[in-house]
Amino acid sequence: MDSKRGKRLQRLRIFSQVLFIWIFFYLLVKSGGAEIAHLPQTGLFFYLDPLFLWVNLLSGRFLHAFLLALIPLFLTLVLGRFFCGWVCPLGGLHQFFSWLGWRRSRKKASVAHGPLRLKYLLLIVLLIASLFASQLLGWLDPFSLLTRSVATVVLPGGNFLLQHALQSGGQDAGWAGKAVRPLYEFSRRSLLTVRQRTFLQPAAIGLLFFGLLLLNLRRRRFFCNSLCPLGAFYGFLARFSLLRLAVNEKCRKCNACADHCTYNGSPYQDYLKSECVLCGNCLVDCPAAAIDFRIQLPGAGKRPALDLGRRRLLGAAGCGLVVAALPQVAVSRQAKAHPFIRPPGAVAEKEFLKKCVRCGACMQACPTNAVQPAVFQAGLEGLWTPLLLPASGYCEYECNRCTQVCPTHALASLTLEEKKQFKIGTAVVNRSTCYTYADGYNCAVCEEHCPVPEKAIRLRAVEVQGFRGRLKKVDQVYVVPDLCIGCGICESVCPRTDAPAIRVGAEEEQRENPYG
Amino acid sequence: MLVSSGLLMAPLARAQAKPSAAPLAAGPSRPASTGQVVQVRGASPYEITKRAVAEIGGMGKIVSRGDVVMVKPNIGWNRTEEQAACTNPEVLRAVIELTFAAGAKKVIVMDNTCHKAEDCYQRSGIEAMARKAGAEVRFSDENRLAVHDFRGEALGKWPVFRDHLEVDKFINVPILKHHGSSGLTMAMKNLYGILGGNRGKLHRDMGENIADAANGFRSHLVVIDAWRVLMRNGPVGGRLSDVELRQTVFASTNIMHADVAAATLFGRDAREVEFLQAAFARKMGEIDIARVPLKALAI
Repeated sequence: MDSKRGKRLQRLRIFSQVLFIWIFFYLLVKSGGAEIAHLPQTGLFFYLDPLFLWVNLLSGRFLHAFLLALIPLFLTLVLGRFFCGWVCPLGGLHQFFSWLGWRRSRKKASVAHGPLRLKYLLLIVLLIASLFASQLLGWLDPFSLLTRSVATVVLPGGNFLLQHALQSGGQDAGWAGKAVRPLYEFSRRSLLTVRQRTFLQPAAIGLLFFGLLLLNLRRRRFFCNSLCPLGAFYGFLARFSLLRLAVNEKCRKCNACADHCTYNGSPYQDYLKSECVLCGNCLVDCPAAAIDFRIQLPGAGKRPALDLGRRRLLGAAGCGLVVAALPQVAVSRQAKAHPFIRPPGAVAEKEFLKKCVRCGACMQACPTNAVQPAVFQAGLEGLWTPLLLPASGYCEYECNRCTQVCPTHALASLTLEEKKQFKIGTAVVNRSTCYTYADGYNCAVCEEHCPVPEKAIRLRAVEVQGFRGRLKKVDQVYVVPDLCIGCGICESVCPRTDAPAIRVGAEEEQRENPYG
Repeated sequence: MLVSSGLLMAPLARAQAKPSAAPLAAGPSRPASTGQVVQVRGASPYEITKRAVAEIGGMGKIVSRGDVVMVKPNIGWNRTEEQAACTNPEVLRAVIELTFAAGAKKVIVMDNTCHKAEDCYQRSGIEAMARKAGAEVRFSDENRLAVHDFRGEALGKWPVFRDHLEVDKFINVPILKHHGSSGLTMAMKNLYGILGGNRGKLHRDMGENIADAANGFRSHLVVIDAWRVLMRNGPVGGRLSDVELRQTVFASTNIMHADVAAATLFGRDAREVEFLQAAFARKMGEIDIARVPLKALAI
């Protein structure tokens, strides 16, 4: 293919990447703050992911939407890793940062198979572990990684910076302030959140995300080539695909095709079909128009692919068994009590850990910022699974968004009426610290906010002996456990500043649920 | 050292200069000479509101030409108009229109909500209605707090959203409803919506705090919406069976009298309501409904 046609192909590829990045961000950004009736289908990319099809097959109650994943799966058998090169939004971002790195120093990368092999071994570890009920694919899956990072770090961080810049700019007394202030007011109405959204462990999630982006400056598409389990899966399929690159006799052996090969390889010296993402860069770089696509029928000739090595595969499988077993022998697997509550619709904990892909779509959709990525509350295995954290927000009574955006139904899809009945926990008053008991003062902020129409938090008028032995009347707060749905607004509004005097725990949570 | 202290002092000096320039009288508001309350019942929330304001002498007596006016409804909850936890949008529309008709330059509508602000503004129907009526709708901005001295026994200095201190006139437009701890909530309690900080703390000895809030910050006009009244399980409610259609509006320039009169709609004697007792102790007005100049009419 001559470089002009190569260029056209490359442009088309870039356009496709930008388009899918845009679709991804559009859906995700819109799902925060959208009205319930107009929640966008953020699950789209997850349903296109064969790894999550696998997760879904293993975790009971099949969701038909995951059949969509068969489309890229079969297309890969024909085209090779087009998905990584043309569709994946995280791949697109990595491609952009790789391009920045390539512009900085146009150094040919050395072809090394070790870094390419790593992702296959990781995939094997994760797949073996998933067979034994330890489902950790979501930690590294590109859509989970991107959704989680954008929802909990990129968007809140951007909100903070913009708010801060506009607000401090607007305080200037001169013309600059006059110009910025209307912009600030406008942004507050349209763009910014009224309350800054905050999340657990932004440093960990953010360092991983931005660290991976920066690594592109060292090796092009580092994450995609070395870590991505989905990339590894497609790489495995691409070995058998029909389409391949071929270098013909016009080749001058100049190795210009290695200039910015996306997998840091060289189509001329070391073509690896399983790694090629059809980016078209080599077609542009080749001065002799010696590279072209060709159809290779099954059984016709050698298929250039990465040698994984039997011992390595066995080793990875062994690691998978270890990773599978370790969480299962943690105390938390047996304990009947646990110190956290899950968002509404959460299925039983064991099943939840299997189904949840740690994507954080629920965290983005939660209007009150109550849904948070777990650190170690739910065990190491539960890292980044969603918790409902009243210290941060509360479960809004008139909302079922998280149950609507969860792509895997780890949070079962509930109608608004079902959600209002769904008990995620029970509030308990701490009589040692509640003002109405400990100090004999009236307070009742929790009672005021309780959204259950017949009030799960009530007041009981009693006479207590106050300071100096005088009798005084106090309205003491108590919880009606059968009415309480565990939304946590009481805990989130309790005025005590040491620790809330009313807390929601998992007692009586409705996790073995009939909605499945 | 000199340079750094100079840098530090400059913004401070500016900040100190600002509150004193605030046109609102910060001192205790003495009851108006008559403190008359008008209670109007009728077929349309919009019409009865207009009539009630006309009966107390018209908006022209309160708002001057060119004023910037804060109209402060209750937008505290993510509830619909029918659930009657937030001020009726039609009542609000009437007040905004009258304010503009009296020559106001700008009308601002805002509240510090209990539920998520965006949801409350939208679901209550207040944001849309206020915009339609020409008012500027603002969110309470944590970055725009200023300390206001309420000079009360219980409530002294407390952070207030600066917007409320920077306007010329403040019109208090609450909804009458049941409230768990204070019994009722009306105009005086509605002033909690101008406060920032940990407001929950002010629910300890709430009666004293409410009275101080209302005494230390002047409401130039009070219009209480009692079109639909949440009779039980307030202040958030949610169940339509707890809501009664009462088709009434109260207006007064005396905040305590307005609350004393509105309490009668609940069948409550003001003398049993803690925060009204506290207001009486602060000489904000009469607590005996028989001594409150009340004019009731139906249209």
